[in-house]
Amino acid sequence: MLKVSDLALAYGEHPVLEGASIAVDEGQFVSLVGPSGSGKSSILRAVMGLQKPSAGTVDLRVPHREVGILFQDDALLPWRTARENVMLGLRIRGIAEAQAAEQACDWLARLGLADFTERYPRTLSGGQRKRVALAQVLALAPKFLLMDEPFASLDAIVRHRVTQDLLDLVEEERLSVLLVTHDLEEAQVLSDVIYLLSQGPRAHIRHRYTVPIPRPRHLIKARSDPSFAPLLERLWRDLSAEVDAAHQSGTA
Amino acid sequence: MSRSLKHIALRRLAVLVAFLALWELCAKFNLLNPFYFPPPSKVWLTVASLFTEGNIWPHLEATFSAALFGLVLGILIGIVAGIAGALIPLLAEVIEPVMMLLNAIPRVILAPLFVIWLGIGLASKVAVAFVLVAVLMFFTVYTGIKEVDRRLIERVTTLGGGNLVLLREVYLPSLTAWVLGNLKVAVGFAFTGACVGEFVAASRGLGYLLSFAQSTYNAALTLALVLLIMIFVLVLFGVAGILEKYFLRWR
Repeated sequence: MLKVSDLALAYGEHPVLEGASIAVDEGQFVSLVGPSGSGKSSILRAVMGLQKPSAGTVDLRVPHREVGILFQDDALLPWRTARENVMLGLRIRGIAEAQAAEQACDWLARLGLADFTERYPRTLSGGQRKRVALAQVLALAPKFLLMDEPFASLDAIVRHRVTQDLLDLVEEERLSVLLVTHDLEEAQVLSDVIYLLSQGPRAHIRHRYTVPIPRPRHLIKARSDPSFAPLLERLWRDLSAEVDAAHQSGTA
Repeated sequence: MSRSLKHIALRRLAVLVAFLALWELCAKFNLLNPFYFPPPSKVWLTVASLFTEGNIWPHLEATFSAALFGLVLGILIGIVAGIAGALIPLLAEVIEPVMMLLNAIPRVILAPLFVIWLGIGLASKVAVAFVLVAVLMFFTVYTGIKEVDRRLIERVTTLGGGNLVLLREVYLPSLTAWVLGNLKVAVGFAFTGACVGEFVAASRGLGYLLSFAQSTYNAALTLALVLLIMIFVLVLFGVAGILEKYFLRWR
């Protein structure tokens, strides 16, 4: 689905990432974790085509129209209702107005927003707006989802519910996902593979972990899997080592 | 109207009535010189006589024509110049300094020049109203386009939208919001331009009448005209408010 090889990224004169290689297979959920400034979001932007690599290759083996992107900001058009926002991508793809409206309403209903289709984003809660943004992406039937801390701004309960909805949909539709997150537990519960980036500048992939928790998963029950605690401990230890090393070298 | 808004409106009305009553009493008991401060009742009678005698209509027509032509032209040209300036850097190099200069000076000082160039008829008044509104609209649109939320552009682009979709879904609605947000100010500017133009040199119009009232030391007529202009501008504010409420209902 995606193969990133020896990727290097820079902002002007400042190198962010060097020699990063990751792969996402079909139906696989992959997370990128790492200290702040390690270039996690930059990798995602390079995959989206929003940032040009200074070296290396990004081989996206799926057409761009089959890639869904979810940012930390929901970025909904404030002058469009929830339904119209979800319809937007469908209309861009040439789907007739009536059919687009029907599909948009179906997706909003599926994400628990059947009664909110005609509401403007300003009148929705953070969790509801996030669901609208998710419906906007999923309505386009993507095969591959790119997500940059999509639920970071939500409170714990709402975040849990939206994340579980997403997990159910990903497993149901067998989507491939590349997620950027700061939350190690979230990464572990959701992912099949986790990549840990080293501290930037010139960050690179430090470790690759395989998560053996069986699917389908439940956000709470997955935590009681025997493999959960040892892997989490390892992730914390490795991440702490990165941060400590950065402090010692004065880069964090 | 919500309960608290009703209370605010009632309190404002009460203060206004009290102020007018106090003014009326002060004039009645000669605490204020009625030559300089004619009582509200006399001002009101002057307004009424302007309409009953029918003298006001040609003046109203002149001022409204100048203000509305200037407003419409100013909005249209200001928007086009703003869009062109924001999207075509080469053009911005030329337009921006001119607009900056026009924005920095009190633009009503151009009124005498417009009278010299265009005569004392309608055209010079339209020109003053136009220049006041156009500069405001230019900066409204120019800043509006420059400050369009980049996240929305990125969102629409990642959904597959091209330039036309961006224009329809992001730029135009953003611009509508900015323009409508400044419409009330533009209305005020248009009337300022028209009246100042008439004040400088004209043969009719509310500004001309004001100039006449001032030269004859007719304070009652001056206040009556000020009141009239305020009422008309408030009515146009109301119309602008309705448009704003409808088009910006998402706010």
